[in-house]
Amino acid sequence: MKKILPILLFILAYLLIQSLILLRVLNPYWQQIIQFAGLMAISALGLNLIYGYTGQFSLGHAAFYGIGAYTSALVTKSYPHGGLPVFIASLIAAVIVVAIVAFLIGMPILRLKSDYLGIATLGFGIIIKVLFDNADAVIPSLGGSRGMVGIPKYTNLTITFILFFIAIIVIRNFVYSSMGRACISVREDEIAAESIGINTTKYKTIGFVLGSVFAGVAGVLYAHLYTFLHPSNIDFLKSIDVLLIVVLGGLGSISGTIIAALGWTFLLEGLRVILPAEILDWRFVIYPLLLIMVMIMRPRGLWGGVEFNFLRPKEYGRPATDK
Amino acid sequence: MAVLLQINDLTKYFGGLSAVVGLTMDVDEGELTGLIGPNGAGKTTVFNLITGLYPIDGGDIKYGGRTIIGLKPYQIAQRGISRTFQNIRLFGNLTVLENVKIAYHMHVNYGLGSALVHNTKYQVQEKKLVQKAWELLTVFNLENRADEIAGNLPYGQQRKLEIVRALATEPKLLLLDEPAAGMNLQETEQLKQLIHFIRERFGLTIFLIEHQMRVVMTICERVTVMDFGKKIAEGAPCDIQNDVKVCEAYLGKK
Repeated sequence: MKKILPILLFILAYLLIQSLILLRVLNPYWQQIIQFAGLMAISALGLNLIYGYTGQFSLGHAAFYGIGAYTSALVTKSYPHGGLPVFIASLIAAVIVVAIVAFLIGMPILRLKSDYLGIATLGFGIIIKVLFDNADAVIPSLGGSRGMVGIPKYTNLTITFILFFIAIIVIRNFVYSSMGRACISVREDEIAAESIGINTTKYKTIGFVLGSVFAGVAGVLYAHLYTFLHPSNIDFLKSIDVLLIVVLGGLGSISGTIIAALGWTFLLEGLRVILPAEILDWRFVIYPLLLIMVMIMRPRGLWGGVEFNFLRPKEYGRPATDK
Repeated sequence: MAVLLQINDLTKYFGGLSAVVGLTMDVDEGELTGLIGPNGAGKTTVFNLITGLYPIDGGDIKYGGRTIIGLKPYQIAQRGISRTFQNIRLFGNLTVLENVKIAYHMHVNYGLGSALVHNTKYQVQEKKLVQKAWELLTVFNLENRADEIAGNLPYGQQRKLEIVRALATEPKLLLLDEPAAGMNLQETEQLKQLIHFIRERFGLTIFLIEHQMRVVMTICERVTVMDFGKKIAEGAPCDIQNDVKVCEAYLGKK
């Protein structure tokens, strides 16, 4: 029962949104926001794996998001009437490209620690943005600084929900495995981790690559949701957005990341509805203020160290205790 | 008795400071060996060299007849050398049980695929792992603390847990870096019994650093004394106690 309930809830949420669309309660704009919230959650789950669980401070998350988006868009744009198979192929291509890039960039820079790693990943993010700014010189259809147009629209509610669900399961299963624990030990104390036979370099790389792949998948959804890509969509401020979500939700909490990602998206858009037009721009004052308050009152994030029950898999082998 | 760990002419400099100079000593299999010396004598440096934390500047360390120079710390741990740290290095934000579970890492061999889908292979191995971890905690009377955050344990139990974590890797050689540091008389007494117990139960070779004389003198079979990076004496505890050089190192010249 414990296993099925969350899946049922997930399907129920999906059906609810679908029926609201059918009943014309949710206009296309809000449908788009819902899907955007979902893809932000996927991306944030990835950064949580890198920063929250493995403890590697990365400011280059948007770069991987961008690489995923551009790679898949290039594939689907090249085969404009391919339908779903082409979209899936583009998703796989994006995952592979992101994984390779993350591996190659991770090898040299994951030796660095905390702030220094942050600066290095920031540099990487800027390089990638500049690369896409000028990409049209090599591949004209990438659009360069004029933006990439004509990407087919494949992302829909169903695809977003399925990928979101897979992302949650993957990260949950990974974290509660021997490999996930190895990543966590790297965060806790690298020297101690080595002393019990854990190859810290290997697990830093695994965490970094897997987390970056999540960003890539989110990028694929983004590209085929808005059908337009611009290098400004992947600059380092976008990395900061994801970082905010992860820290706000609580480092090392899957539940917190999901809630914060959904909350952050709906808060920004909700304020747009609630606030009168003349003070609309004040939402960028209101939400940082909320952030400051949360950080003062709950320094470990809203759900730091807390996890929903269904996101904790059964622990096998523990003897029954009589409490 | 066979020699398990062989240190030969080991040398390490930190800039102009010679931390360890030409240290030669053996640790026999099954023996309880102590390394003592005043503060700053280079004892912990020796441990850090054995476990591969620092590169060495000269000499050789052989473990089970093979050199371990140039290996990464995790590779040395995989060969069967486990250690504790002078300034406890637990995974402080994790529970007691999680600390021990992580230490079984090298004995788990399911791949990324199994980890992502939690298949039968995962379930079987995880089950075995938790059972073993639980058993080990029970042996050390820590099982009722299993779900407590390791960093919240009282000091003595943190030291104990660190030893438990080292044992979970199933080592052949256990290095204890000042296990009695910061302990009072009663705790030290318990620790001595614990070390005896570990040795009997797990059939381990133990090599420990200590500067509390009363610990070393009563439990170690052989003691090496260091001062300013050099070996100044070696032998049975009772002989060491009467050694002129050792008294000088600790108390100064007459």
